[in-house]
Amino acid sequence: MTSLSRKFLILAAVCFTVIKAAAQGLEYRFSIADEGTLTKLNLTTPLNFQNGILPQPVQQNDAISNLFLSFGGLSTSLNVSALANNLTPPDYSYSIRELSYDLSLSDNLDVTVGRKILKWGPGYAFNPTGVVEPQRSPSDPSDRLGQNVGRTLISMTAFAGKSSLTFVYLNDAQFQSGVFHWGEHEYALRAYTFLSGLDLSGILHYRQGDRLEAGTNWSCVFGENLELHGEFLAKKGSSAMYHQILSSDNPDQIFASYPYAERFDNSNEIFYKLLLGEQYTFENGINIAFEYYRNMDGLSISEWNQWMKFVKFQNGIQQGSIAVPPQMIGPSRNNLLWALQTLSPRGTMRDYFFGREYYSANRWDFEFIQLMNGDDASIVLVPTVTYKISEFFSVYGRFTAFLGRSDSEYGALFMKNSTNLGIQFQL
Amino acid sequence: MKELLKIVIVAIFAGTTITPLHGQDNAKLTGDEILRLSDVNRNGWTSYSVTTTIMNYEDKELTEEGLFEVSIKGMDKTLVKFMNADVKGQYLLMVDDDMWIYMPNTRKPIRITPLQRLMGNASNGDVARTRYAEDYAAKVTKEETIEGVPCYVLELNAKRDGATYKRIDYWVEKETKRPKKAEMYLISGKHFKSISFDRYQEAAGRTLLTQMTIIDRLREGRTTVMKYASYAEKEMPEKYFNKDYLEKLR
Repeated sequence: MTSLSRKFLILAAVCFTVIKAAAQGLEYRFSIADEGTLTKLNLTTPLNFQNGILPQPVQQNDAISNLFLSFGGLSTSLNVSALANNLTPPDYSYSIRELSYDLSLSDNLDVTVGRKILKWGPGYAFNPTGVVEPQRSPSDPSDRLGQNVGRTLISMTAFAGKSSLTFVYLNDAQFQSGVFHWGEHEYALRAYTFLSGLDLSGILHYRQGDRLEAGTNWSCVFGENLELHGEFLAKKGSSAMYHQILSSDNPDQIFASYPYAERFDNSNEIFYKLLLGEQYTFENGINIAFEYYRNMDGLSISEWNQWMKFVKFQNGIQQGSIAVPPQMIGPSRNNLLWALQTLSPRGTMRDYFFGREYYSANRWDFEFIQLMNGDDASIVLVPTVTYKISEFFSVYGRFTAFLGRSDSEYGALFMKNSTNLGIQFQL
Repeated sequence: MKELLKIVIVAIFAGTTITPLHGQDNAKLTGDEILRLSDVNRNGWTSYSVTTTIMNYEDKELTEEGLFEVSIKGMDKTLVKFMNADVKGQYLLMVDDDMWIYMPNTRKPIRITPLQRLMGNASNGDVARTRYAEDYAAKVTKEETIEGVPCYVLELNAKRDGATYKRIDYWVEKETKRPKKAEMYLISGKHFKSISFDRYQEAAGRTLLTQMTIIDRLREGRTTVMKYASYAEKEMPEKYFNKDYLEKLR
């Protein structure tokens, strides 16, 4: 553990003790984790050859503390973290993940105002209907370090028996350098009902300047073992940003300006996102989950290959294997950096398969996650073992392996694998 | 008239009020009526909360201990709040046969199956479903004396697919109608668990179950002890038992 981490742990423990002593009747949850990461880099990837374009650390230590407080209708979730690695100076950061006020207007009507994490879909790794939720990674669906941050919103929910109706207004407004900036106005409506064993929701979502999208999600249980769920969201056109190289015949180009644009914003073609999933529990307690996700906003295999040729061209220039005038080497580097924006933590291409096996016995938890790109068959494997030392302390080991052809989505990532070892204290 | 009186008594016992059971005309009670009366010893009110401690043992060694606050409303709604530090903020909601779990990390309720366990050998249904009369049809098969106490032996068969067990053999004390022991079976016919109802105590002016022991018949040596304390009548709005309200609970 680094000196920075030790200072951070002491600071967080003192803060928590003071808060706990000062606040009688407060609901709280507190966790602090220290996680060390060793990374084996993919030094031959054209995205980041010899780790020279966007240098990545091979050793890192994260100390992360999460504090949740709730008093009356007011609740907040705070994250304080310290990071040290072999590349950059140690750094502290904090974030207010949530700060909201829940007001119960009656037994049937509730209002929430503030920053809050809302998640709407039943999907485990992917949530096409999670139109109001923050970005998250399918290879870490449980957000183990508590790093997801809520969105600024006003929501109103009316409850009636086994049904509810929720309206949400969102605006990612920001206060910067003493000036308040409104973000785009965003509206979402969800009607939920529980009907003959079926959880069923209908969802509408509209963002200023974009088109209305509509969707549904559902889940149901069959017998003692099996749960099925699904999500579907569709709209005319797409607001996704695409690299201009995708619609060009020549991948050997250097763009002079930012090369991304909305390609299908005026299209009348229906773009949809679909998730189908299940989970099955065996009598011995082993739980298996499986999901298929299709995202029409993603790249097709031919578009991916075109983009990869473009990346390889820029990498060739950077490595000197493709000769260009010296004044073009800098712009080419910028093109390579811009190209990386095509990659999305939620998946860059169209088809994905997700699997998870979980078993808990006594003090041990075993989890094995598989995420596969269905278009190029590249895979992410994430086995995790957790041992509960006590109610308050646990230690864990997590290994993440990225497998696939050198020009596939996960085979071309910056790293080949990473190992996390962590200890967590919870109160 | 006697029949009408019997129906009224059963209806009252199945609802909120507990009155002395001694002197009931046992000979005329059906299996379903005995089951309803026995449920009263596990549920003091129509809407109440109870603190539940679950202790898991493996080869008589304590391996895990969990604390839960269980809120029950009516015949079909249960909300379980997890109190241990490692699962704090987690909730289990059960409405009729359907269950959702809410975990603060994922911030959303997830639909779960009856076999997904709350902790160790205790299934969600063991904690959440305490009114067997709602889930099972009962018939008296015989009478037996257990540890010197005369008991009815009831055969309970699941009325609904979502009931925690397919079949239960259930021993109920003749005099007090307190559950004495139970043998639980899965749809496959496998003998799944044995339960002994160990201790009853005066709680909030009523005699209620305060300890039971679950023995896992599929995995030898695994035992769970469940202790109940702090029974209290508690009124809760309906929305507390709506899946979408889980994210608002603390």
